Amino acid sequence: MHETNKEWLPGFDKKFAELTHQMVKDLEKCLQCGKCTGQCPAAKLSSYNPREIIRDLRMGNVDKVISSHELWLCFFCSGCYAVCPRDINFPFAVSMLRYAALAQGYGWEEVKEIKDPYAQDYYNTGLSVNVNERNLGVKKEIAKNSGTDGRIETVRRKMGLPPKRKISQRAMSEIRFIADATGMTDLFKEIDKKVAKEKSWNYGSPADLVKVKKGPNQKFIDIEDEEKERIS
Amino acid sequence: MARQQVLEKTKVSDRIFLFQPCVGSNKYPGLITSATEFFRKLGIELVTSDDQTCCGGFLTFTNVAQPTSTMPAVARNIAVAEEMGLDILTLCNGCHTFLTEFSHFMNDRPPVKNVVNVILSMIGREYKGSQDIYHSLEIIYKLKEKIRKNVTRSLSGMRFATHYGCHYLNGFKKTALDDPHMPTIMEELIEAMGGEIAEYGENRTCCGTGLTQIIINKETLSLPHTKMKLDNLNAAEPDAVVVVCPYCLAQIDRMQQKLNYRGSGDYKVPVIHLVQLVGLALGVDVVKLGFDAHAISFKNFLRKFESVQAKAEVVNG
Repeated sequence: MHETNKEWLPGFDKKFAELTHQMVKDLEKCLQCGKCTGQCPAAKLSSYNPREIIRDLRMGNVDKVISSHELWLCFFCSGCYAVCPRDINFPFAVSMLRYAALAQGYGWEEVKEIKDPYAQDYYNTGLSVNVNERNLGVKKEIAKNSGTDGRIETVRRKMGLPPKRKISQRAMSEIRFIADATGMTDLFKEIDKKVAKEKSWNYGSPADLVKVKKGPNQKFIDIEDEEKERIS
Repeated sequence: MARQQVLEKTKVSDRIFLFQPCVGSNKYPGLITSATEFFRKLGIELVTSDDQTCCGGFLTFTNVAQPTSTMPAVARNIAVAEEMGLDILTLCNGCHTFLTEFSHFMNDRPPVKNVVNVILSMIGREYKGSQDIYHSLEIIYKLKEKIRKNVTRSLSGMRFATHYGCHYLNGFKKTALDDPHMPTIMEELIEAMGGEIAEYGENRTCCGTGLTQIIINKETLSLPHTKMKLDNLNAAEPDAVVVVCPYCLAQIDRMQQKLNYRGSGDYKVPVIHLVQLVGLALGVDVVKLGFDAHAISFKNFLRKFESVQAKAEVVNG
């Protein structure tokens, strides 16, 4: 479905300039050589096609791009930028186009995946990666390799480190102040409101993991059979 | 920029601020300890601060926070180092990208910087943009000759494959230390420490984490992609693969466990961060290198390493 041919830049900028911080404007320099797509890991495995996305935007098919599933397939490896003869930083453009998509109501479910747990961990602990290992298979391997219970706190203690990296109280109140004052917290709430779904998993107790039904979104959880038996 | 120009711009002070990565704290704590220990052996003190949090920039590039929210968060972390008057050393390609991109954005646009400083003034900090931000490769490559002289446990007899990761060389193709297509700096460093190089075709391929790829699309693209890379890597038969980014480390390390668990092969290449490798060669205590936190065991690697050391002692002895 192609929209009518029109000059995309003025239309796009008018609609999304503020959101995208003018970071997508370089796309007009594109030669359509296709080097980006030739080396792209996502293009190799899916229908994602950077050259086509740029072409669509230039032809005025803005809605086709920002409503597409393909927009969320980029690896952000910047390989396209590395090979681009016109130095178009396409991953930047993808990130900014995703803001345009969110503004039109697309992609909130994808963003929710990042908000829980990574962004929420940032707000709660100051670090975006949680100390709890949620892949039990990995935990088991670590336990085997280190001769401990496999928890990262134990491994840290064995190395002579405190069980958790210390983040000062001042730092925590500062990042929360920034998040609250600049609308980050509000956006988190909006994501929660728009995508009201159950948490697909809950780290902490392994028993909680077993309760979760296996579905396409739960591939992350690897529980070995004996582990299941032990818990039940 | 040519390599020489980047090296001339790189200044190694006696004290450097170590920007602690999240993955390097909560998944692979060995990165921080081995960096601290081996820099001390070279007479450089790495200073950390409890006031430093996650860089914050990743929230913008993953679309969960507007740049207006993360710009002050990133500036706050840089301000912590600026207050100490120290340059910043990053161990993660992500931290390096976000700190560098955001600081350039603010330094080039005084109005943005002013607005950021209005917010920071409310928490009693100020972003000046006075300190340099370095990738670990820049500092370590600059110290190459010093490292060569200080090697106490030569890596000779060991074969290493390299993985540069994407965000440093690709993303900074105009200002990075090396060419994004055919980089050699890591190979030169490994050879300076006595190691051998295992070459493989997919060297410049992404690890598969892809910033948000594994989070948003789970394993649909990430797992086959990493498997393809690992198969190519295994054909070169390296003793270990050397990376410079904790995310690459986590992906290549953990995906091997996952593939093994699913019965898709027998993958057992240990993954080692460059700072751990330099630490190993400079004689840092093996416990401090933190191999215990890796999913793929270092048992065979260390056994071979020790037997090579013992042989070298007999020859030199």
